[in-house]
Amino acid sequence: MARQGGSDLARREQRLAYWLLAPTFIILLAIAIYPLFSVFYTSFTNNVFASAAPTEFVGFQNYQRLLSMTIRQLPPRLDEAGRPIVDPNTGAVQYESAVTVLPREPIRFRPVTQFDLFGSRYVLGATDPSFIRAVWDTIVFAVATVFLELVLGMIVALIVNANFKGRGFMRAIILIPWAIPTAVSSQMWAYMLQPNRTGFFNTVFWYLGLGNGEIPFLSDPAWQLPSMIMIDVWKTTPFMALLLLAGLQLIPGDIYEAADVDGAGPVRQFFQLTLPLLKGTIAVALVFRTLDALRVFDLFQIVLGQARYSMASFTYYELIQNRQMGYSSASSVVIFLVLSVFAVTYMRSLGVKSDEH
Amino acid sequence: MNTKMKRRINRVLLWVLIVLMAVWMLFPFYWAINSSFKSEGMLAMTPTTFIPRDPATREVSFFTRNYEAVFTNQAFLRGIVNSVIVATSVTLLSLAIGSFAGFALGKLRYRGKTATLYVILAMTMFPAIAVLTGLYAMINNLGIPPIPSMIITYMLFTLPFTAWVLTAFFRELPTEIFQSAQVDGASPFQTFYLIMLPLTAPALVTTGLLAFIGAWNEYLFALTFTSIAPDARTLPVIIANFPSQFSRQIPFGEIMAGGIVSSVPLIVLVFIFQRRIVAGLTAGAVKG
Repeated sequence: MARQGGSDLARREQRLAYWLLAPTFIILLAIAIYPLFSVFYTSFTNNVFASAAPTEFVGFQNYQRLLSMTIRQLPPRLDEAGRPIVDPNTGAVQYESAVTVLPREPIRFRPVTQFDLFGSRYVLGATDPSFIRAVWDTIVFAVATVFLELVLGMIVALIVNANFKGRGFMRAIILIPWAIPTAVSSQMWAYMLQPNRTGFFNTVFWYLGLGNGEIPFLSDPAWQLPSMIMIDVWKTTPFMALLLLAGLQLIPGDIYEAADVDGAGPVRQFFQLTLPLLKGTIAVALVFRTLDALRVFDLFQIVLGQARYSMASFTYYELIQNRQMGYSSASSVVIFLVLSVFAVTYMRSLGVKSDEH
Repeated sequence: MNTKMKRRINRVLLWVLIVLMAVWMLFPFYWAINSSFKSEGMLAMTPTTFIPRDPATREVSFFTRNYEAVFTNQAFLRGIVNSVIVATSVTLLSLAIGSFAGFALGKLRYRGKTATLYVILAMTMFPAIAVLTGLYAMINNLGIPPIPSMIITYMLFTLPFTAWVLTAFFRELPTEIFQSAQVDGASPFQTFYLIMLPLTAPALVTTGLLAFIGAWNEYLFALTFTSIAPDARTLPVIIANFPSQFSRQIPFGEIMAGGIVSSVPLIVLVFIFQRRIVAGLTAGAVKG
């Protein structure tokens, strides 16, 4: 349809576009796509970094070791007469050791956790309990942090959206936890969580009469995840608040004036006006934050080290500490696949604007 | 009268919330500053003190040797230099390359545009951990030194983000400027860097700031690629694995002092460019 000159111009424009896009795509090809394929490939080998042993193709063996799980019923321990042994103090039934029921061939299963269901005791076994635990912990961490950040982020967003003197200053202050390096904030919090009264939290709890002043926040498994969640909520709530604030600012003010006339109180206005209008923003923020939380690394590696892993820190230690290129590649692939599900959801909800047809 | 009372109560409630929020956000910093002015003896006091106090006399006293130790610590000083080199290079490269892509994506017409937009958007979410092993192997095979390695690989997260945000800014510039420049005989590329680029200066500042902060704070790649090259470590790696000059307990006083020092540049940026940073953050995540 275009005349000769026009199409010549269009061709020049197209050529320029490709030239301008080339550097970006070449770099991304080199540092993302190529390494991703090499990770996929390596995950099917037994490659060990800087090892003299030849690398062999092992099929799905790495994935099998990473992901194999089984659930077995634990029989109660029986005395000579064949009756279950009951703890005389607590009255609890005693069970056989988990190792006795878990398969040992071809790879040995080790217990991850035990649970009761319909009056029987079961054990969950896995060939790599650390990885299964890392996946579980990362999911718990992601769900808890994203939920808390949404609630607190909403409160913060409503505050900094209100009219008051020094609002700009307040917005800068809430940016600080987000802006400073996670390495720094992890160390700051680790020091506040010291397992004795040199730490802030133990001192305050002790003043309040809670605990003995020696709560091991970072070494007691029951406290580890709550501590991680608390630190991440502090660090990331500002980001969530800013996303929600951007959504709040798009809501026209006259809606609220109409609601005022109708006599709706602020709480009803929030639940019946603000929240429904923010649905889109909230959905995007949730997916975006979940993606971020599932790949948490800095916080876990710095504060907990090898005491407890996230999926990412597990992969890091397999690579750097154990030099298991093949094995850590397999865990990278698992993380990648899990995150892709969320990324696709995110892109679907966001959509791309393009003038091309 | 009644509504006036109500309004006053609301005002008080709002300020209570504001103060609570500010304390929550700032207290860990206060604690870090407090601890950075304590000697080992003061840090070991139980219960701990909310301002640095002398263990014997319990008088308020500030211990400044942690800062002296940090500023005479060779590893830490080298860390500052490394961080500045890495973060600045990453920012400049991402802006240059990303603005090319942003211009093409936002203003030029070509076949395959939707696909390229989707690729860039997908890349903004690319998980670094997924390619860690692959990049590590690649860098070792090619023998790339750690600092250039960091500069190149950080573009994994700065470049797609920069391109994506700049695309949105270029798209909003009026097409007439672009067309009239072409009618005047300017080539598309001249139009880009003589006319369009200066107009996007505010967007360049915003994305540049975010790229700089991201690169300054990056930990995973820095930790991995400098695992056998302590001289190339950036500040986050040094803070997380603080090199003690003498063998003793974890030098928390020095770590806090070092942490404060490495956060100051970012806090300054946040206060100067608060508006721009907020705009860039939300543009990256919300707008399409």
